Amino acid sequence: MYISLDETVKMINEGKVLHIAADESLLDKLPKGRWIGGTTPYFISEDGGVFSKEMLFVYEIDYAEEISIATYGKYNVFQIVEECYDNGLTTIIIPYGSAVATKYAKEAPEIEELLMHPTIGWISGFDLAEPGEAKVYDGTTGMSYTDKAVVMYIKLPENKTAMINMINIFRDDKSDPVIRFNENELEAGRCTVNDKEVCLAEYIKENGIETGMPLVADYNGSYFNTSIKSVDDKTVGFYAPVFKNIDYRFAARVEDYAREFKNKIDEAGAHAPVFSFNCILNYQYGNLNGRKITPYTGPVTFGEIAYQMLNQTLVYCEVVGQDD
Amino acid sequence: MDVILEEKMKKIFRGELKYSSSNLAFNMLISKMQKRVAANPESLDACIKDLEAFLAKYPIVAKVDLANIAAL
Repeated sequence: MYISLDETVKMINEGKVLHIAADESLLDKLPKGRWIGGTTPYFISEDGGVFSKEMLFVYEIDYAEEISIATYGKYNVFQIVEECYDNGLTTIIIPYGSAVATKYAKEAPEIEELLMHPTIGWISGFDLAEPGEAKVYDGTTGMSYTDKAVVMYIKLPENKTAMINMINIFRDDKSDPVIRFNENELEAGRCTVNDKEVCLAEYIKENGIETGMPLVADYNGSYFNTSIKSVDDKTVGFYAPVFKNIDYRFAARVEDYAREFKNKIDEAGAHAPVFSFNCILNYQYGNLNGRKITPYTGPVTFGEIAYQMLNQTLVYCEVVGQDD
Repeated sequence: MDVILEEKMKKIFRGELKYSSSNLAFNMLISKMQKRVAANPESLDACIKDLEAFLAKYPIVAKVDLANIAAL
């Protein structure tokens, strides 16, 4: 729900369990309580996309049997697979640009246990129009961090399961060249294109590739994006890492981003997501300011986490009955 | 898991049979198992054990996807 500071303070003081997204100036004013938070001034409210430093987006976690909250640095972030509830949902917020974000992005796909524990989250951000610093908050201590991830473990009733999914407008064209990388890396110099070693930056320029289109990898029909952050003479920077031994292609061209995004939203058909995190690039390129995409309301983020870190997607979670 | 279903899962892991789920985690698991089997074909039985652990965790996948795979 998209609510005021006073309403949020009231909920915290009533002992409610909350996941909060807001501008830093508001999160700094919240009392201690059973909440975690992350910075962003961009939201998808019930009335549509909106930029605000006066309102907060709050998820009330009223379906939990029990919760616990913890913070982790880059050396221990993957303890989340050991410390989560057996039948639960882990929600994580990581500050943009932090070492823990890099660690999580690069190594999460190799953590064998992660798929066994539903894990959803987002990368906190800031107002793109001003210099800013992304933060996360542990409401139990009132502390904020630029270098730690904050995690809320949610224990679900035995007959409930958390199901995480994503909405992605991008697909590959299987006739396009296959791009492979030698390492898990956030910037790439050399790579192979159809098994021939090339400089990726030069390949992009020589072939006039539009860098607004991400690289996509096909994970058995689920497409994962890696968006391009920068291209200089010899190096290409990414918003999320590329991984070795994964086949990538540049995404097939999307003629009308906003329309395609709306189509995918309509197709997804979620009923009542308990969390929904939508990429800032979808917000910008999909012209979501003022557009309703209910029921996918929530913060607009600098990266999404559905087990591993994703790019240019909307991730969401539903808590469903095991007999549904 | 019955023998026929297990054989179908092994074919999926070997890339001989195509099945894509509407469940993100299941697709991620299949993709991971396919890479593991491609790198080491002898890991197939271990992959089936991991699959069984996964299905125990996600009964909805067991109910919906296994029925779909059985019908392939």
